[in-house]
Amino acid sequence: MNDGGVILRVRALYKTYELGKENLVRALRGASLEVAWSEMLAIIGPSGSGKSTAMHIMGCLDTPDQGEVWLEGRRVDKLKRRELNHVRSRQIGFIFQGFNLIPTFTAAENVALACEYAGMPRRKAKAAAARALTGVDLGDRLSHHPSELSGGQQQRVAIARALVNEPAIILGDEPTGDLDTINSREIMQMMRDINKSTGTTFVLVTHNPEVAATCDRTVCMRDGVVLADEECRPG
Amino acid sequence: MKTVKNVFRRKLRAFLTIFGITIGIFALVVMGSLAEKITLLVNGGTRFYADKVTVSQGGSAGFSVNPISVDRIPAIQAIPGVRLASAGITLPLDKEQSASFGVPAMISASDLRGRNLESFKLTYSQGRELSPDDQGKAVVGADLVQKLNARVGGFIKVRGRSFQVVGILEKTLTIPDDAVIIPFRDAQNIFFNDLPELVQKNINPDMLATGLTIYPKPGVNPDKLAEEIGKKYPQYDAIGPAKFQQQVTNSTHIFTTIVFGVALISLLVGGLSVINTMTMSVYERTREVGIRKSLGASDGRIIRQFLGESAFIGAVGGITGLALGWLFVLVANKAGEASGTVIFLLTTRLAIGSIAFAIVLGVFSGLYPSWHAARLNPVQALRYE
Repeated sequence: MNDGGVILRVRALYKTYELGKENLVRALRGASLEVAWSEMLAIIGPSGSGKSTAMHIMGCLDTPDQGEVWLEGRRVDKLKRRELNHVRSRQIGFIFQGFNLIPTFTAAENVALACEYAGMPRRKAKAAAARALTGVDLGDRLSHHPSELSGGQQQRVAIARALVNEPAIILGDEPTGDLDTINSREIMQMMRDINKSTGTTFVLVTHNPEVAATCDRTVCMRDGVVLADEECRPG
Repeated sequence: MKTVKNVFRRKLRAFLTIFGITIGIFALVVMGSLAEKITLLVNGGTRFYADKVTVSQGGSAGFSVNPISVDRIPAIQAIPGVRLASAGITLPLDKEQSASFGVPAMISASDLRGRNLESFKLTYSQGRELSPDDQGKAVVGADLVQKLNARVGGFIKVRGRSFQVVGILEKTLTIPDDAVIIPFRDAQNIFFNDLPELVQKNINPDMLATGLTIYPKPGVNPDKLAEEIGKKYPQYDAIGPAKFQQQVTNSTHIFTTIVFGVALISLLVGGLSVINTMTMSVYERTREVGIRKSLGASDGRIIRQFLGESAFIGAVGGITGLALGWLFVLVANKAGEASGTVIFLLTTRLAIGSIAFAIVLGVFSGLYPSWHAARLNPVQALRYE
């Protein structure tokens, strides 16, 4: 568990994709990064810099061709599918740009699904989902479907879903990308408050300087590597 | 609940897929009911012929209409192992027989000499059995009551002749249900009238029979006895239980093949449509699969989710198919009662079997799409638009 105050450590990550038969995309070329416990970190960088790929690998949604990923002191890049599922359901929460809620499920059902996958019995999952949604001020929207909620509300459902299993780290891929300025600020403030009150670590991939400014620290990526702090120029 | 919701996301498609299975199961239930009835008839026949030998004139089989002379009885009776030889007449109830499935309605008569040796006992729901002195009397099989408008004490018409009903048989679910039993002498007269004029001139109606029933002595093997009679009188067909069994097995084999064929077609058509629907469903919900995987859903859970949906499609299709088939059988048998042709029998094993078949079909057809969904790469699935 104790990795010198580091919750997430990635070392020299390489990942190459094949687009078509001869077109190779080298998304990551030796990216390394450390994230401290309870830190709120922003990863910025131009399109194609490898931020999303890095986030997917950190979130155990994908595996690197080379390199290491350590989560809470345990190496996770070599785990089997079943173990990766386990890590995703209990140790990591995700927030996506497009909210990624299941459209036929109510807000409560969307959140409860995460609990069920973490092994919680259905009744307990329901109660936990209601608590989590109340925590993001959606206690009165439990039985609303995503289509009946505003963008900001949908993203709050996604935050509730990411938080409900109390993971140590939450990964966000452009969490405010689909929101207007007011909703965007509201969501950022909410994540900041959660980070401060619960100590949950946040790693947010973003294009938005305002989002980056809300975080404790910002790192930049370019051409598949994480740049040294002095090379990183905001904007 | 979620399964139902997911299946009916695309209502028309779900309906069409379920309808496909419904048709298949409907066909299976209807054809199966036909086969069940035939099987029951055959089993009844097997019981009927279990301990005796039937002898008819060569060149005819089953319900023979070639005459055999009653005066052969003493010679056959003299064969060692024969306990009793009894003459009988079996004729179609309607002279102009229309083609129909199952067993046609028959006139049945015997000289009643063997009735105490008969192991296939008939029971009467009303009235009494025929006695040797009866003339112009009849006993009516259960399935012919409505067609002939028969009631004890009333009169029925058999081949234009009037017979007074003295008894109505309990349902046997086999041959006697479609028979009118009349006195032997009356049957001889009807048979005589059936024969061509040229034959009539050379025949004494009192000697007429369509077949002889031979009851073996205790301990004598009826099949061996049939063989012996056949050897001694090659002009006759002597059929023992084994040969009867063999004959009917051949004919029921055709029905089994038809039912199997229908099942196979319904398997193919229904199965393909479920595969198609589930594959489409998985493609449409690729993003949903990605979301579920990002939340830590195991492969098993994804597979179970989609398999549950395809099993549900199979079950609903199976239940509606069974319900429609049951309704069809009910209506067809009701209609058939009036003409004395009750040809369907929906048994419990057929009902349970067809539902189970539909569910297994649904699950089996859902295997590939479910497996495909479970193996999706979460990142690619999440990006799917």
